[in-house]
Amino acid sequence: MEAPVKVIEKKATFKRSKKRTVNWTPWVFVTPHLVIFSLFFLVPILYGIYISFTSWDLVGKPDFVGLANYKEILWQKDSSFYTQFHNGLKNTFIFVLLSVPSCIIIPLLLASALNAKPRFHKLFQSIFYMPTLFSISAVVIIWTLMFNVNQGPINNLLGKSILWTGSQPYAWATLVIVTVWWGIGGNMIIYQAALNGIPKDYYEAADVDGANAIQKFFKITLPSIRGQILYTVVITTIAQFNVYGQPLMLTAGGPTDSTRVLLMDIQQNAFGSGQSIAGIASAMAFILGLCIMVVSLIQFLFLRNRD
Amino acid sequence: MRKLGLVFMTIMLVAALAACGGKSSGSNSSSSKEIVFWNPFAGPDGQNMKKMVDEYNKTNPKYKIKNISLKEGDMYKKIQTVENSGKNVPDLMIVHAERIKLYHDNKMLTSFDKYLKDYPEIKAENYMQEAWKIGDLDGSRYSVPLDIHSSVMYYNKDLVEKYAPGALDDNIVTYDEIEAAGEKSQKDKITGLGITWMKPIFLSLYAQNGGKLTENGTDPTIHNDQAKAAFQKWIDLYKEHVTNKDGEDPLQLFLQGKLIFYPEGIWMNNNLKDAKFDYGLTNAPQLSNDKSKMVNWSSSHQFVMFNSKERTDEKAKGVLAFVDWVRDHSLEWAKAGQNPASLKILDEPEYQKMAQSFLLKDPVEQASLKIFDYKYNGYVSEELDAKSLDIVFGKNPVDKALADIQKSLEDKISKDNTNK
Repeated sequence: MEAPVKVIEKKATFKRSKKRTVNWTPWVFVTPHLVIFSLFFLVPILYGIYISFTSWDLVGKPDFVGLANYKEILWQKDSSFYTQFHNGLKNTFIFVLLSVPSCIIIPLLLASALNAKPRFHKLFQSIFYMPTLFSISAVVIIWTLMFNVNQGPINNLLGKSILWTGSQPYAWATLVIVTVWWGIGGNMIIYQAALNGIPKDYYEAADVDGANAIQKFFKITLPSIRGQILYTVVITTIAQFNVYGQPLMLTAGGPTDSTRVLLMDIQQNAFGSGQSIAGIASAMAFILGLCIMVVSLIQFLFLRNRD
Repeated sequence: MRKLGLVFMTIMLVAALAACGGKSSGSNSSSSKEIVFWNPFAGPDGQNMKKMVDEYNKTNPKYKIKNISLKEGDMYKKIQTVENSGKNVPDLMIVHAERIKLYHDNKMLTSFDKYLKDYPEIKAENYMQEAWKIGDLDGSRYSVPLDIHSSVMYYNKDLVEKYAPGALDDNIVTYDEIEAAGEKSQKDKITGLGITWMKPIFLSLYAQNGGKLTENGTDPTIHNDQAKAAFQKWIDLYKEHVTNKDGEDPLQLFLQGKLIFYPEGIWMNNNLKDAKFDYGLTNAPQLSNDKSKMVNWSSSHQFVMFNSKERTDEKAKGVLAFVDWVRDHSLEWAKAGQNPASLKILDEPEYQKMAQSFLLKDPVEQASLKIFDYKYNGYVSEELDAKSLDIVFGKNPVDKALADIQKSLEDKISKDNTNK
């Protein structure tokens, strides 16, 4: 009676041990990132979300307040945090809408031009890429001088005395120009690599069929680098949602808070000169994060479905 | 291969965790014979502070000072984190006077009382009063002042002679005198008055009008006639073209010799030394010639000890020894353009010749220095810094802006749990 039972047990152990064998190789590659990601990204995000449900000044213990912070910034119209949040989010969206198209189109055009390998194209490539290497403070100092009312070369060239950083719509124009100039290099390099990968045969075939340059650009070039465009659109959008340095240093959020973006309020509430209001700041940050996720998802679905 | 992989993964994990979780051996950790001293002097004044610390360390004290200068914003963020964790809290720190009430109410500061009897010279009589009284809270001493720094006014001597002769006879330039000079100088394309950092300028004028930031110590009072009148003065001067235009850099105008009066802090003096003309330093613009009504906005850097379990009584005495030494050796700090709070500085002939010394030499001038030590001064600064220029340049109506500031202050203060 005992023998068959033993055989079954043996088989079962064998099966179990086979199941338990894990292929560790992928984990080797993933682990370092996973550890760092969890420690410096996942844990702080989860903690941040927790703080958004509390009232906390970064000292002592946070008091749990439930959804009060969200209610206040989203619906309580008589609160100045409501005004802050709505104005900041609106301005952030305006900045994204204004800057993202230029941050995609201009580098793409420059990359296409360089791809035609004109004379000195290496030199131009370096010149276009260089601003990306500067820190935002250096960029802002350069452009503050450029846009200066009296001594700035831009006003001198135009023969006008436009108050670039202190009046609208010029303040937005200034921010977009500076942002595009600063960020051209990053996207341009990606497009250049993509353009290099398009087989020459396509263009030769199009030439035989009598296609002109514009037709070739829209019918061959663009579809061939759709993947890279999707990537840059999503990455650039996320980057522009997180805009902070340019409005902080160039316009200081002015005139009359019209370029004050949400991150400036988040930073000031959490780490300003006064007592920290970390709960409200975290709630604002969490909603901004949600907005970024939703917009990225829409872009992703929209661009992928057309494939 | 799999075994090798497992070993590699374990090593990576351990290394990563060790790097993050291990006891920091970075610049902030303190050894038992060292006093870790944080200060916000990351600019040129950091060099002067470093010299002072080096000088002190040369005297072979029982506890040497480890000088760590941090950017102001970073330092104030960091102190909250280390104070929460209780690890690597600096033994000694410099903070701005206006923050001390808030830290005290949050129970973050250690009192000096216990150690003061060993250092009898650290006492009220030896310090500038306005700066000294900041550290006196609930009958205990929580800070000792290093300096008192004020917002004053620089003037181009040649231009004053030409457009405002006699305005400086009493060392007070009134707004009326500035207005008259600016109106005269316009024809020669010389600007009368620079629009610079409006916060101290506004607060000086607000106090001259009899305005207070708070009546009861908690609730803000800024949406009132005194504040309106203070801003209105500047709005009018701007409209009359007495001031520089929006977008013009008053510092450049002054350095080019195209600006008569340039209101700024005494700390700016070192930046102006390259000016190719004679310039002087006087009180901030005033409403009246009456010296007893003068107000010069001031702030003060103060030594404090944040609560720390790692700081022994012996070490705390070492901290006091350094603070006491600074009281006696603050000439180097005056060279940074500051006014040391220790009155002993008045005995130094070299200090007597320094431009900023006029504020301390005369007791009437001393009495004009006003620190706005409202607990929520940080919020007031944020609001004034964000809105003042828009008000002066006419982009934001003064009444609406002040109402917004008042509302914003009330909402921020309502979040403070320490009041409840």
